[in-house]
Amino acid sequence: FVFCCCNSSYLKILDCCSKTCIESVLGKADYNHNKVNQWTAAIVEQSLTHLVKLGKTYKYIVTCAVMQRSGAGLHTASSCFWDTTTDGTCTVRWENRTMNCIVNVFAVAIIL
Amino acid sequence: MAEQPSLELAPSTRVTGVMAADGTETPHPRAIHRGSHPTAPSRGPEEGKAPQLLSRRSSMLSTLAGPPGSRRSSLGAAPGGKRPSVGPWLLHSRVSFSGLPLFQPIPETHLENTYRMRPEEGCRFNAGRVQRVLEGGLAGVLGGTTYSPQSSTVLVQSLAELLRGQAKEVVPPRYKLVCHVLLGQHRQQSMLVASQALWDPESDSFASASFSNASLFAVATVHGVYFE
Repeated sequence: FVFCCCNSSYLKILDCCSKTCIESVLGKADYNHNKVNQWTAAIVEQSLTHLVKLGKTYKYIVTCAVMQRSGAGLHTASSCFWDTTTDGTCTVRWENRTMNCIVNVFAVAIIL
Repeated sequence: MAEQPSLELAPSTRVTGVMAADGTETPHPRAIHRGSHPTAPSRGPEEGKAPQLLSRRSSMLSTLAGPPGSRRSSLGAAPGGKRPSVGPWLLHSRVSFSGLPLFQPIPETHLENTYRMRPEEGCRFNAGRVQRVLEGGLAGVLGGTTYSPQSSTVLVQSLAELLRGQAKEVVPPRYKLVCHVLLGQHRQQSMLVASQALWDPESDSFASASFSNASLFAVATVHGVYFE
């Protein structure tokens, strides 16, 4: 059966997965240009591992953007060509004193 | 892959068989109304209703041209299923409905299984081609633009839709697309965009492009996922 991704409870699960991953990696750290590479890699990898453990038949795309806080504005948008009844997305915004982090999770259904 | 549905169908057919067998002894409420047995069941409140319905059934059947036996059996076999067409009934003036128009049910189109699990040879997501399209699209839209907080919200949304449309033209069919655009003010801050995906690397891929001028920067990514 195809699990309906428009289900709000499933999107909340995606939300929580991403939030816990960001918290565990960035936590209370300050922006560090040398470490930002491994931070983004860790966030994305941990998010994917958590999503795989949910055990649903979905392909996942996780994007993470980390930006230094300097008063600059940032806008993000996404447009998707897919089946709206089975596929969905979840965006998590996180920030601390020195940086902003935006994580997008796109879930695309596999029909078995 | 195809075995699971058949396993799930089997119990349901068995259940209906049991229901039909029980219908003669302990009748389901619906079976009472549509039953072809002239003897009323031994249920108190239903007894008053049963003869009335049977009499109505007989009057309706008398107006039908077809054999009454076949019509009765078809109605009894599928209590919750599709009813036979009401076309011939409307021809007879004795049958009256509440006045609501009755339309034929729209036949659902069921597409045949293509049994294709991989994209055809030469029909894969061409990352280089999509990247060139993205670069062209970004340069064309943002070439002479300056950053402004009010207009950037609308600009980034329209840019995402435009790039998705342009990418769709160069991507082969049976691909689902996810287009993600980031637009920010250029203020000597540091930024990193990363993405990772769980998919089939032989058929799925992505392309990304970036653009920057004096006042703004933009990063666009298109992920293509093959839809089996």
